[in-house]
Amino acid sequence: MARPLLSRARPVWTRRLVRTGLFLVLMLYVVFMAFPLFWLVLTSFKTQGEVVMATSFWPQGLHWANYRDALFTQGIFQSVKNSLKVSLVAALATLAVAAPAAYVTARRGGLVEKLFRGWILATQTFPHILIIVPLFIILAGLSLTNTHTGLSLVYVVANLPFVLWMLFGYVRSVPVELEEAAAVDGASGTQILIHILIPLMIPGLVATGMYAFITAWNEFFFALVLLKEPELLTIQVNLARFRGVEGFVRWGPLAAGSVLATLPALAVFAFVQRGLIAGLMAGSLKQ
Amino acid sequence: MRTARYLAVALALLLVVSAATPLVSAQEPVRLRFVSLAWQEDAIAAVKALVAEWNRTHPNIQVEYQQVDWGSIHDYLVTSFQTGDVPDVFHYESPQVLDFGRMGYLTDLAPLISDDLRNDVLPNFWETVSIDGAIYGVPYIVEPFIVLYNKDLFEQEGIEVDPSEPMTWDELRAIAKRLTKDLDGDGRIDQYGAGLPLRSPANRILNLSMAFDGQFFYQENGRWVLRVGENELALPKLLHDMMYVDGSMATEGVGLSSSELMAGFLQGRYAMIPGVGAFTRHDLAALASDSFRWGVLPHPKATSARQGAVSQTLSIPAASKHPREAMAFIEFMMTTENMARLAYNDWLLPTRQSSLELPVFTTEEYGWDVVSASAASLSMANWQVVPGYEEVRSKVLNPLLQEYFYDRIDEATLVQRIEREGNRILERYR
Amino acid sequence: MHGKARTGPSLWLLIPAVLPILLLSVIPLLQGMSLGFTDYRLGPREPQFTGLDNYQYMLTDYKFWSSFKTGAIWAVAVTAGEIILGLGLALLLNAGLPLQGLARVLILIPWAMPPVVKGLVWRMVYHPTVGLLNRTLIQLGLLETPINWLGDYTWTLPAAIVVGIWAGLPLASVMLLAALQTIPQELKEAAALDGANGWGQFWHVVLPLLVPVIVALSTIELIWNFNSFGLIYVLTEGGPGDTTRLPMLYAYEEGFRYGNLGYAAALGNVMVLAMLVLIYFYVRRSSREVA
Repeated sequence: MARPLLSRARPVWTRRLVRTGLFLVLMLYVVFMAFPLFWLVLTSFKTQGEVVMATSFWPQGLHWANYRDALFTQGIFQSVKNSLKVSLVAALATLAVAAPAAYVTARRGGLVEKLFRGWILATQTFPHILIIVPLFIILAGLSLTNTHTGLSLVYVVANLPFVLWMLFGYVRSVPVELEEAAAVDGASGTQILIHILIPLMIPGLVATGMYAFITAWNEFFFALVLLKEPELLTIQVNLARFRGVEGFVRWGPLAAGSVLATLPALAVFAFVQRGLIAGLMAGSLKQ
Repeated sequence: MRTARYLAVALALLLVVSAATPLVSAQEPVRLRFVSLAWQEDAIAAVKALVAEWNRTHPNIQVEYQQVDWGSIHDYLVTSFQTGDVPDVFHYESPQVLDFGRMGYLTDLAPLISDDLRNDVLPNFWETVSIDGAIYGVPYIVEPFIVLYNKDLFEQEGIEVDPSEPMTWDELRAIAKRLTKDLDGDGRIDQYGAGLPLRSPANRILNLSMAFDGQFFYQENGRWVLRVGENELALPKLLHDMMYVDGSMATEGVGLSSSELMAGFLQGRYAMIPGVGAFTRHDLAALASDSFRWGVLPHPKATSARQGAVSQTLSIPAASKHPREAMAFIEFMMTTENMARLAYNDWLLPTRQSSLELPVFTTEEYGWDVVSASAASLSMANWQVVPGYEEVRSKVLNPLLQEYFYDRIDEATLVQRIEREGNRILERYR
Repeated sequence: MHGKARTGPSLWLLIPAVLPILLLSVIPLLQGMSLGFTDYRLGPREPQFTGLDNYQYMLTDYKFWSSFKTGAIWAVAVTAGEIILGLGLALLLNAGLPLQGLARVLILIPWAMPPVVKGLVWRMVYHPTVGLLNRTLIQLGLLETPINWLGDYTWTLPAAIVVGIWAGLPLASVMLLAALQTIPQELKEAAALDGANGWGQFWHVVLPLLVPVIVALSTIELIWNFNSFGLIYVLTEGGPGDTTRLPMLYAYEEGFRYGNLGYAAALGNVMVLAMLVLIYFYVRRSSREVA
């Protein structure tokens, strides 16, 4: 509705009016999407009484104790660091193994692709909690439980279905002719991948990497079950500890912790925003 | 014969020594993982302080404290039991502990518990963790139901209450009616006599129904069956009538939990809140302004003052490699003073007689005396030992009670459907 | 695939992906699925193979099937909301309006917020007496008496669906925005020269080009939404009554709350099967796109 309405034939004032209207609608969207975080920021400066009583929308003072509590008593900083490490490693590793696999699969097609697609769809439907026990036992056999490496590895495997699904499309958006020319020049498959395909797929890799990062960042259950050492704790598991029984919640520190946990993710988003948009752009139409 | 006895004694000694040897001589101390559910600031501090004290005084048995939240503990434990990667001591509550015990996942503590602890913890609490003589956890804190009331509103209406004696449910209903008002005269009630959290009503209703002799689960030919008779229906019907006949209980409680009713209580929307646990005092103490005067009443009685009790426990998984050391740690946490400290900081009651007698639990401040006096009326509700209760609860009791409290089905339908659907599920667990 | 004669790149490049997938996904997945043919329960007893017993029991398990209905309503409503509102948002974000860059980051907030807190925040918003929503509506004079959004039989599912859409909108709008940006400007200009007005351009040029993305996105979103339960569990625990009990919540409770792991796996298998129709459509569609 946006762009087409701005056709050139209209007089300037109509266009201005339309643009103002559209801008207001966009702001409505932004308010709807962003106000829960805004509310959390306000809440993070409130006392428990202010939150539960909801006496005022705005905090009555800056109750920094919530941040002190979240950071020092509950160790949010350490767990944000842990989560950043696990999620970044998971995202990068996902891309590193997915890119060649997507390349081979998309170019060969046939049985390989059918197997991949079947597996992808099964993983997206079968309840995840029912595979945790066999998964845990395998990881224990590899001495990978209670390690960030093990958790990252689990995230790689959990991310691969959607990432591959998208990358199949991105690979196909790259014309085969480029590769064929290189092959004639004697380039090997790996060389073609590294020198031709990956540079062309960077936007797509950024986009899927973003997905992989945020999925790992937000994951709770595997992190809870796999990591027992208090120093290894991830952010989501840590935040859950502010919840009590019967709906009782330590609102102030939870809000403070949540704000501190959202900011790094948003920062990563903002940083790669351009890449993300452009990346999705490259592959989406080919899906 | 004599020689044989000597030999046996020597052998036993040898076993004891060899069992004890690693404790004494090993370079590496034994490491225990202790999972705690304490989540309030004070409660966490109390647990951490005790763990630190233990670690300082027991260099050979080092305890690692891990906090898990109430919402995830069940998944955490179920996974732990299946994979064998278990904590050595964990904090949870009695119904689930009985379930896990029955499944063989827990160490029977009966032979390990000291006489001091066994004799001092009140017998009604041991009952919540025992099956066929086996004890699957040490019950250490319990939460009686109480009534919170707004002193100003009661006084304005000239209602006098005696915190030392529980009133009857009928009296409560009459009081609630008197306190229900349309203050601004717009034709809508804005002060209700009562509010009650009914978000997941089943456990609350079943525990409170004990005052009416409502049992719900009966044993017939060695099998559990679900029966909803007059006694079982008494409380649900009373609450339903307070909402829809008298209009003295706010209906929004159907979707709310205890914590979510507190705002309304503090704003004077509900003159009292029955059916909440003693823990809610913690929130009130933190939230209420100095001008807001609230008090604690014992929970109302019907044919008796009994109420079903769930205890919070410390247990040792069967797969723990160090059950003895774990038990030593539990005994330490459960001394009279330490148990009192844990309970007090969680705003709940300790289970030891000697702890209950400590002055902190008998002061009038925050209604501690009223709460402590309820300890005697706590007993185990039989649903705790019914195999398959969890499924009956979430598939049948919660949804149907909600439907009834929302006035969408009548009593007859409620009774008929609970019995039909509930018993069908119980069959599955025979 | 049209039987490409070329052998394509070496299969060795698959190893880094296939190895972890086999070990950490395929094996656990097969083990999990095979439990669906046993009577495995939490406890000491070894699971016994029981063939199709679980499925026979399922036939009479009407609560499971009614959860399918709830799941279908939830999945369709949330997905439709995500796509329609996401399309609108994507168009706005692509219109060169002021603060566009900032808006593009801010609309990702639901994605970046910790899942633990999402449901809790919305419960506060929906609180009947002190919640932001009721207060605002009453202040604006749109509402006379407060609505018990998450306790009322009529309102709970719609209220939860709004939260579902809120949570899923970032991914949908980002995907659609990306697709919009791939539409060459020349196409629209050509249409404009042919005399097409704004709506005409949108209907005849933009929308047809978006169809493949919309189909792909909506299908995977349908599957995801049908299988979601974490958010709604915090919001409603499946209530009031059974009005918001989604199939995955049902399966989770069977396995982890009641300990009927074999039966829960059987429910999972049936859900895989039930999705198959949809998935078949999806695969055929996307392979056709590719070809």
